[in-house]
Amino acid sequence: MAVLANAAPHAQPHSNSAEHDHEAHLREEHLMLDPRPRGEMNAMVMDSMHATGWKFWVIASILAVIVVICLGYYWGLMISEGMVVAGINRPIYWGIFLVNTVFWIGISHAGTFVSALLRVFKAEFRRPFTRAAELMTTFGLVQAGLSIFMHMGRVWLAFWLFPYPNERGLWPNFHSPLSWDFLAINTYLMSSTMYLFLPLIPDLAMARDRSTGWRKVLYRILALGFRGTESEWTHLRFAMNLFAFAILPVMFSVHTIVSWDFAAAMRPGWNSTIFGPYFVVGALQSGLSAVAMVLIVIRGNMKNMKYFIRPEHLDAIGKLMLIISMAWAYFFFNDYMVQWYGGDSWTKVLLKFHEEGPLGWMWMSMLILNVALPWLILWNKNWRRNPVILFTVGFLINIAMWFERYIIIPTSLSINRFPFTYQLYKPGVEVQLSIGTLALFILLYMLASRIIPLVPVWEVQEGQMAHSLRKFGKEHVVTVSDLE
Amino acid sequence: MTEKTMLLALFPDIDPAAQAVQKLRDIGVRDDHVNVISGIPVTEAMLGRPKQTSNVPRLSAGGAVAGMLLGMFLAFWAPSSYPLNVGGQAIIPGPPTVVVLFEMTMLGMLISTFLGVFLDSRFPSYEPKEYVPEISDGKIALLIECLPEEESQIEAEMTRLGAESVKHAEAQTL
Amino acid sequence: MANHNIPEVKADWEATTGIWGMSIDMDMCTGCQACVAACAMENNIPFVEEKDAGYGRSLHWIRIEHTWQGEYPDVNATSFEPIMCQQCGNAPCEPVCPVFASVHSQSEELNLQVYNRCVGTRYCANNCPYVTRVFNMRDYDRPDPLSNQFNPDVTVRRRGIMEKCTFCIQRIHKGEDLAKSEGRDIRDGEVVPACAQACPADAIVFGRIDDPASKISVMAKNGRGFKLLDSLGTLPRITYLKEEKTYGRTG
Repeated sequence: MAVLANAAPHAQPHSNSAEHDHEAHLREEHLMLDPRPRGEMNAMVMDSMHATGWKFWVIASILAVIVVICLGYYWGLMISEGMVVAGINRPIYWGIFLVNTVFWIGISHAGTFVSALLRVFKAEFRRPFTRAAELMTTFGLVQAGLSIFMHMGRVWLAFWLFPYPNERGLWPNFHSPLSWDFLAINTYLMSSTMYLFLPLIPDLAMARDRSTGWRKVLYRILALGFRGTESEWTHLRFAMNLFAFAILPVMFSVHTIVSWDFAAAMRPGWNSTIFGPYFVVGALQSGLSAVAMVLIVIRGNMKNMKYFIRPEHLDAIGKLMLIISMAWAYFFFNDYMVQWYGGDSWTKVLLKFHEEGPLGWMWMSMLILNVALPWLILWNKNWRRNPVILFTVGFLINIAMWFERYIIIPTSLSINRFPFTYQLYKPGVEVQLSIGTLALFILLYMLASRIIPLVPVWEVQEGQMAHSLRKFGKEHVVTVSDLE
Repeated sequence: MTEKTMLLALFPDIDPAAQAVQKLRDIGVRDDHVNVISGIPVTEAMLGRPKQTSNVPRLSAGGAVAGMLLGMFLAFWAPSSYPLNVGGQAIIPGPPTVVVLFEMTMLGMLISTFLGVFLDSRFPSYEPKEYVPEISDGKIALLIECLPEEESQIEAEMTRLGAESVKHAEAQTL
Repeated sequence: MANHNIPEVKADWEATTGIWGMSIDMDMCTGCQACVAACAMENNIPFVEEKDAGYGRSLHWIRIEHTWQGEYPDVNATSFEPIMCQQCGNAPCEPVCPVFASVHSQSEELNLQVYNRCVGTRYCANNCPYVTRVFNMRDYDRPDPLSNQFNPDVTVRRRGIMEKCTFCIQRIHKGEDLAKSEGRDIRDGEVVPACAQACPADAIVFGRIDDPASKISVMAKNGRGFKLLDSLGTLPRITYLKEEKTYGRTG
């Protein structure tokens, strides 16, 4: 089997040209059927990291300035002045900071979903973009963590949440969903970072072998002396496999616990048993859309990425987005139905406020962008495969999912059992800090794309080895053999 | 006691490498004197090599147990060392305990798996090693430890089976 | 008839009756806000400027609810209703604090807010069904001569901290210390929180609810008594007295 270097996986001579065209089309369509020599792919990936135009640096500098102003100045202002510069009041004690927290944790979920779940199920289309998705997990969690810190009234004492006893021997309160949050997000951040790093080691070794100067030093340190011996691969394979299985329940637990911050509270509209899965699906909804957006940006702007990321990948993610959108609609309706039927008078007030209150437009656009839009567009294969359309849908879904969290947190907090205290929420410095987190996310991702090989070359090569075309009658069928 | 030498034979593909592994065994080179280095995970079964063992599974299991014990410490010992009543809940609350135990168990398992890879593979190690950069281009290298007198025979056989190059392996800074 | 095949089920907390309690007679309250002012003086509550207060950032531990209902001209006003921390026996604000800043006092059966431990997650405020907790949005100015009227018995809170009515725990402790030094039990009516002391209509009565002979216990047994949001099972320690026995609405 001449698979390692350059062979087409089907070496028979072709009798008629129509059949030949069909095969050529299949090869053009599927990365896995279009193998290139490993050396060439390595060079392409290395090249994609080196080829940095002036536009990149202009955008990066603008983002850096935004980060410094928004996160440095405005956060500093909020710390020194107090939460008065933010928009919170009584009864809306939680505002956009927690909206952002939930939003970024949601974004971070797709990375794990794409990479771990698809690895567990051996979904082959994942291969070129697992790392791009995992990077989103790590950087998304950084923003989520920052947003939690922003939200705290006395952020300089944030370390009191760490599980260690104070000078009187008192430990943190594990009755509190916020303590579970701390444990879960901590576990998730650490494990997703390790899960990002493990499959990266062989690619770092690859980069080490073909770079010079400071990059050589950096990759040499990061590659840890990896050569690719049998035993190294054995340990690595086991660990990656275990991580893929074990990180999934961690991922589910994280967003479930985030939902319990609300569901455990004694409030109309929050105290819902369906919130756990509803939040997990919501996280995937925004996260997958974000993966699609990132892939489209990478494909459009990074050198050589059109080879690795093809319409077939957009197609696959588009399908997933459609399925998840249906699941989201199901859970939303389930939650809405039970709240509506339950008959609690305060919940009725709340639902009416959601739909007809001053932010009713937000509730309506959440449903349109989250449900109607993907259902009307993503069923069409040609539209799914169109980067502009898929990017737009992904962007709008993310807006809608941000709206969803906004409706659940500040809008719902307007309503409680004492109408005397009802207030509306007017964001203050939250706006600048939200822009800051978004800018920091994009900036971190851009810088990482210069340093980290965004395509796991060895995984792509492994996949290309395992794929072949077989003929059943007149039909060419893609088959995959299991290498492990 | 004669000085052993290290040969590095570079193969472009799995098939010749698998044949070479068999040939070396026929010549009389012991399996543990051969090491395979590859740029993609080539399994032992593909090359007909003896099954690799790994301590990582055991370390993971140990880490899971350690994490769970730490979780038990946090969930049972910590609250009872300074009992405070909150909201009429028990000092050691039932359902939240499950959350703490789950998260700490997973954390322990995943960290120890990660560190297990470091431990078993002796990462990080920056000393010079036998290696050629072509390996990360998808080539497969056989590192053969042999006596100097076997050297020429092995070299000839490896070349005959399709090795791109056979040379003395030199430890180099990676 | 109780079915004896089903064993009696009782939660642990049902046994606790509480120690300190309050009764507020809404039929007598005139809405004069004297309790609000007295509370602010007693507990070093800072003054919040008009704009912030209108936006829901005032720091008063007690608020007098008064709403109008219906469309003009058929407008009904509700009776005045002072609402402060209900010192729940089963407080929802307590378990949600990650750093044990909101805890239950076993000895006084009160909800404590430990200012020094608070990190400002504001979860307790969200989980308070009575919306009685307030948050220090900033360090508030106290221009002269207001800076001369601090109560030395009460901590001055800085920005980023949650606070709420304490039932004037400093006065409770003072009364208890005095009684202990004189070797006697605390007398009914000896401890009076600032709001009760300032109430010109005597609508607010404070005392021990574990003593069946105390004035508060007698008043709480009054047929007009009810608790706020009783169905939530929070075991509030404040009894409201009103003829219609409902929160808010008058006829």
